[in-house]
Amino acid sequence: MKSRVAIIGCGAVKIGRYPDRAESDLALEAIRLALEDANISKEQIEGLFTTPDLLGNVGLQTSLLCEYMRITPKLMAEISCGGIAGGLAIRCAMNEIMLGNIDLALCYGAEREASIGWFKKFGSDEGSTMLEPIALQPYASHGTIPAYALSACRYMHETGAREEHFALAAVRNRMNALNNPLAAFTMPITVEDVMNSRRLCSPIKLLDSAASLDGAAAVVVASEKLAEKVCGKPVYIAGWGQYHDNSCFIPTDRCDKSITNFIATHRAAEEAFKTASIAPKEVDVAEVYAPFSPCELMIPEDIGWFNKGGMVTALERGDTEVEGKIPINTDGGLLSRGHPWAVTPFYETIAIVKQLRGEAGKNQVDGAKIGLVHCEGGMLNNSLVIILRTD
Amino acid sequence: MGSEKPNFLWPTNLNCTATKRFWEGLRRRQFWARRCRDCDETFFPPRSHCPHCLGNNLEWVELSDRGTLYSWTEVNIAGPRFDIPYLLGLVDLSEGIGRIAAKIVGAEAHQLKIGMPVRIIYADVRGDFSLYCITVDQ
Repeated sequence: MKSRVAIIGCGAVKIGRYPDRAESDLALEAIRLALEDANISKEQIEGLFTTPDLLGNVGLQTSLLCEYMRITPKLMAEISCGGIAGGLAIRCAMNEIMLGNIDLALCYGAEREASIGWFKKFGSDEGSTMLEPIALQPYASHGTIPAYALSACRYMHETGAREEHFALAAVRNRMNALNNPLAAFTMPITVEDVMNSRRLCSPIKLLDSAASLDGAAAVVVASEKLAEKVCGKPVYIAGWGQYHDNSCFIPTDRCDKSITNFIATHRAAEEAFKTASIAPKEVDVAEVYAPFSPCELMIPEDIGWFNKGGMVTALERGDTEVEGKIPINTDGGLLSRGHPWAVTPFYETIAIVKQLRGEAGKNQVDGAKIGLVHCEGGMLNNSLVIILRTD
Repeated sequence: MGSEKPNFLWPTNLNCTATKRFWEGLRRRQFWARRCRDCDETFFPPRSHCPHCLGNNLEWVELSDRGTLYSWTEVNIAGPRFDIPYLLGLVDLSEGIGRIAAKIVGAEAHQLKIGMPVRIIYADVRGDFSLYCITVDQ
């Protein structure tokens, strides 16, 4: 990359349920924390980038925030692209800074899925055509769980993984969440608890699944010049990759697309490693966007840390725990941190920034210098990978 | 096969020109895909334009009712249309052009094996509307 861009501030509210607080309320809380963390004033905000406000739908939420904050940015946009929207908001900020148009941008998102229940429309006639515009497959058009369950069943067939292995990933996430003050789920669980939890779509059970919850998070993105001036511990965006596998959700067009290896994850990671000039094994800590526990096995394999099926033994060995070879989701992941879906990439980014600054508390990975953030949209069809580093 | 009675008020787009013939085919126990007259690509699911050349000089072709089970799940989450639990299968169509995801009828979970041959069958769910399901090939 020609000129460098850094993340210099992070702020977020605890993920949970906020039935009596507006999105703008949660957003402003996260934004104030992020500005304080970055040690900058609101007047310095030149760019404002956010994730979709699904109920507003007319793109006026940044305008509202400008009024509520009394700020006058030069650039702003609401970025919509499924689950990767938050990651793309950071990319837009980075691009505008690299182009020299601005020196500082604020990226934020607020989501009240638990309180509003937009996703419930997937099960209704109104929302049923979202995933497949012409809706020719009604038995599979009512939500994400059956799709990921089909993927998990096939993965077990191809690799010999058992449901207990998926449960191991859920337990690892939960143990990590115990030390994350922003996490929604902080009661310890065991493999047995996961196995005995309510069956949703076999082999996926309740504790294999991420809960759609409310949350808000913000990150401050700055040019290297500004970052060095105001921030003691800038974290630089070192690499970037995105790829789409040309399926909207379950791949039904043609028969040649895997639902256990997702080429979008692989290609996005490959490009990110290339642009960052690093090898996969140089990553010290990673956040992967796994809405269901089986994805916790597939994504690290697709990124290149393990062979196909290799995550089964990796989980048994503890390779992805905080002390392991490649610590993954040290913040609790989507399963235990909670999943305000459009905002999740910000929470993932914040987790990695804290790790690279050495501020991850009990879950700190010793000497972490290079981190990876992965997020996805669809059924892992649209993947985005960001590499962050301290130097 | 008239025993499958999902709670249906759907789909609302039966008159969509790109797919109308598909639904009509189900009424006649035929499973249709589309073929591009310009580049010879046959594709499923049916759409308005050829995904290969983007042309819209298309015709309808009838597929066989055969396929292979690619994956399956037992759906236990309530939806507005179908009674639970039901088995959902993802099937590679034998022509190799696409996959269907549909309810499996006439088989128990323990009888299912990935890779087994399956067959498309039809269910009248409303006076003017039929759906496709799959069953284990005998």
